[in-house]
Amino acid sequence: MSDSSVAPNTQPETPADVQADARFESIIVPPPADSLVMEVRDLNFFYGPNQSLFDVNMPIQKSGITALIGPSGCGKSTLLRTMNRIYDLYPGQRAQGEILLDGENILSPKLDVTALRARVGMVFQKPTPFPMSIYDNVAFGVRLYHKKTKAEMDEVVEKALRRAALWDEVKDKLTKSGLSLSGGQQQRLCVARGIAVEPEVLLLDEPASALDPISTAKLEDTLEELKRDITIVIVTHNLQQAARLSDYTGFMFLGKMIEFGPTEELFVRPKAGKTADYIGGRFG
Amino acid sequence: MEIAFTRAQRRKLASQIFVGVCVAAAGIALIALGLIMFSLFTKGFSGIDTMVFTHDTPGPDSHGGLRNAIVGSIMMCTLAMMIAVFIGVLAGTWLAEIGGDSKYGHAVRFLNDVLLSAPSILIGLFIYEMMVRPMHGFSGWAGAVALGVLATPVVTRTTEDILNLQPNALREAGMALGASQWVTVRKIIWKAASAGLLTGGLLGFARISGETAPILFTSLNNQFFSTDMSQPIASLPVVIYQFAMSPFDIWQELAWAGALLITATVLAINILGRWVARDKDHR
Repeated sequence: MSDSSVAPNTQPETPADVQADARFESIIVPPPADSLVMEVRDLNFFYGPNQSLFDVNMPIQKSGITALIGPSGCGKSTLLRTMNRIYDLYPGQRAQGEILLDGENILSPKLDVTALRARVGMVFQKPTPFPMSIYDNVAFGVRLYHKKTKAEMDEVVEKALRRAALWDEVKDKLTKSGLSLSGGQQQRLCVARGIAVEPEVLLLDEPASALDPISTAKLEDTLEELKRDITIVIVTHNLQQAARLSDYTGFMFLGKMIEFGPTEELFVRPKAGKTADYIGGRFG
Repeated sequence: MEIAFTRAQRRKLASQIFVGVCVAAAGIALIALGLIMFSLFTKGFSGIDTMVFTHDTPGPDSHGGLRNAIVGSIMMCTLAMMIAVFIGVLAGTWLAEIGGDSKYGHAVRFLNDVLLSAPSILIGLFIYEMMVRPMHGFSGWAGAVALGVLATPVVTRTTEDILNLQPNALREAGMALGASQWVTVRKIIWKAASAGLLTGGLLGFARISGETAPILFTSLNNQFFSTDMSQPIASLPVVIYQFAMSPFDIWQELAWAGALLITATVLAINILGRWVARDKDHR
């Protein structure tokens, strides 16, 4: 049961400058308070005995794109995976703190996680089409929650595929297996599948890392379109991608949120030295 | 210089010897298989005619066929596979998806492995005690259950192995859409693993199709045509066993024909299964 997209079990060694600073404070320039849809508050995360997130705070703006950047193993994927409680699948992983979605703490043990995951969708690093037709892939999530007639379902599937900018490429082969598509198309199929259930938030974990530049550009166009009605949180290794796409960016390092703020500001005038070093390519 | 040269030579020689031994071992296995198939076909093929399928097993030194045995075998094996696939797939799924890491899971896996290598005659005796004696008589039901018990661990094992090969990303993707674990397993994981699950069923079938010992203790044999599962019922392996030991040429010929039938059926079902699985992957 190993998964490369999960942050490593062993926590990286903490360098002296972060460790010594016991009163470590994240630098956070939040979006306007009335525009928030989700808010991470004092989140700590553990893989068994190893802590991998430390008092992370992050406000997420409604109908915008929030990007998470940072070197490998810094905890950005881990943070993303707490936001729909997908870590629940693995015994031994646990989160402390609060993540508010429309004011409700989603880390509460009483919460219905399947309902949460219908509201907070996720697209993974590697495309994961289900072994079924393109049509059924998109309809899968919708069928879990709604009884629809064939005509209604056709409409839902077409709309989702159009919004994911895939419709024109697959409209003549909807009954073909989702696995028959190219990598870029598969990833957009996964986006279509995720938005077909009309989530409020869509989480993307390095969605373009397995794609060629043209497919990446198409995927980015799709996200630009989607952000009007869906809040998007994207983890990326690609700084240009974060700069191009996002409205807000968070820079993470060694499990801490070092700096969070409007993308332009963070890239042009970073407030923390670590952020400037990372963006300037001095490490990472 | 001298040392380096001999070392390289030594390595090359060792490599050649090892490859040679591997080729020889594979060759011996293939030759044995070839000889078996050859004698099976030469001796069995002449015995196969329409009478084999239309007539029942004959009395000593008279002509007949294997109809009752074929029908009995099909009935018992079908029922056995229904039992084995139902229990085996669910047990294998539980081991792979839910409880495999728990103490109970380790115990179940260990016991399954023990059952996997248990002598089939013991299983026959077990069912004899559990079903034949309490029900006061040999029956097709008992035969089917014995064969089912024999095939179940094979299906359980392959199911667990195949499900473990499915990427976690697929499970996460299903759950991330708001599907429960059960829905994710049923509609995505089983589907992704369908070719492997089919192989598990085929392996189970191959394991039981030629079993004689458990049937001797459970369904025994029946010289006449019967589809009554509560009565003793004929089956190919027992008929082969009985006829091959007999001094009558006609019976011996029928035994060869029966052996060929079993082998050909297992082969045909395997090829069919692989073809279906292949077709699925390339659609």
